Amino acid sequence: MTRAAAQNATPASSEPRNPFGFATPGLEQHPAVTIPDAMRRCRWIAVDLNAGSFGLFFVNPSAERAHPVPCFDADYPRITNFTKFVSGESCEELTRRARVSTLPCWWSSDEGSASAANFSALSWATRIAPVGPEGSGIAFPAYAERGQCGLVIFTGNEIRLSPEQLPGIHARCFALFSAVARMQTEDSGKHPSISKRELECLKLTANGLTSEEIACRLKLSVHTANQYLTNTTQKLNAVNRMHAVAKGLRLGLIE
Amino acid sequence: MEIDSGHPEPPNCMAMTSLAVENSSFETTAAKPATRGDLTAFLMEQTDAVGADAYMLVAVVHDQDHSDARIIASNWIYDAIQLAGQKLIATLAQSSFAASPGGMPRAIVTASAPSLEGIGGEDIKLLDVLGHSEIYALKLFVGRQRLFLLFSAASIARIDLAALIQAQFQCCYGLSRMSEVLGAAVMQDPLSDRERECLFWVSEGKTTDEVAVILGVSSNTVNSYITHAIRKFSASNRAMAVATAIRSGII
Repeated sequence: MTRAAAQNATPASSEPRNPFGFATPGLEQHPAVTIPDAMRRCRWIAVDLNAGSFGLFFVNPSAERAHPVPCFDADYPRITNFTKFVSGESCEELTRRARVSTLPCWWSSDEGSASAANFSALSWATRIAPVGPEGSGIAFPAYAERGQCGLVIFTGNEIRLSPEQLPGIHARCFALFSAVARMQTEDSGKHPSISKRELECLKLTANGLTSEEIACRLKLSVHTANQYLTNTTQKLNAVNRMHAVAKGLRLGLIE
Repeated sequence: MEIDSGHPEPPNCMAMTSLAVENSSFETTAAKPATRGDLTAFLMEQTDAVGADAYMLVAVVHDQDHSDARIIASNWIYDAIQLAGQKLIATLAQSSFAASPGGMPRAIVTASAPSLEGIGGEDIKLLDVLGHSEIYALKLFVGRQRLFLLFSAASIARIDLAALIQAQFQCCYGLSRMSEVLGAAVMQDPLSDRERECLFWVSEGKTTDEVAVILGVSSNTVNSYITHAIRKFSASNRAMAVATAIRSGII
């Protein structure tokens, strides 16, 4: 509700772009409600870049899982060959980079293509070894509030992107990714409602307090505090307290 | 990076609206910060580009009950930082006024004494007297690491919004490149790879024995990795170490 109010307060949200080629952020922040909706928005960015294909991937934060997880691509609800390649082969360089660096990366197996010429003029983008069967492409890392990490990838040999456009396009990728990430968080929010008191106990656990200390702080008996924590753990479908704390933080139930 | 020749023209907020100036500022700032000195020069360049007077780059560290700002670089005068205090700075950085990349930055006008989460308007009003009349808070992502950048000006409506969005990405890029060069210097990831791995599995609900099997080491080793991680975060137990690591985006 507060988000909607904030958007109404932004007067510029009626026009799609400002003179710098940025999407007006107020507009882009309208939460995309469905994956097809998000895909359409991604297609607009692809059209502005003159890219042939596109895809949005999630990158697991832990180094354990090296593959980007596809969310959607240009062929949604089916998947393109490129997506199969990225999620099948180990795209380690892309995922490793996305975890530690916000710099866009590009690749090209065809030096003479228009994309390669445009990409090499981008001083902030890094060149990496060719990814997948497609000739050229550029990957924008994006991050969302709850620590989610992802990649928005555009491929094609005729991509037009100037250094001045780069932040604007990247900003739209960020907005798109955070909308998709929010959607996923809401999807996984199907656990039964957790009471305010239970959340309070979980938050104090995350702050390093023991059950005894929580009981003392909240003026409860130790048994009640433990009961609250057990309930929360079950409701979050977690196996123990550490897991419950991690899930609570990742879902944004606690700060 | 030549710091002296960095500014061929004085920062001119009137000219900021022309695309030509936008382009040229993009070229000069494409220099790659490689040391702490370069970082200061780089941030000053961004400050000039948006028409601000002061910058402050902070990481927010969560403690038991409150969050503290860890200042990485700043040109605020020391007294201002002392008077404002870390808590106020952390609140400013994390308030609903702070813009994520791709969002619309909103100004905090200190003279109007807006009441932010947990901080009274009077404390914020103090900043107006200290020359921070208008403050913009930007969230930066350097990989998964989240940092906050405050730009402030002594008079209202001097900071250029479009340039601010440019600067936000320039800083994300610049700091990413810097963290590649400087390694862990600006990052607050004190853990070794092994410790991070152990802590991740603990956060997934695995017990010590299970982690030992997953990583193929003995459970004593796992315990010692986790103890080290707890100590490095100065946490009081595993749950807090897990929470700290997730909050700072390490796992």
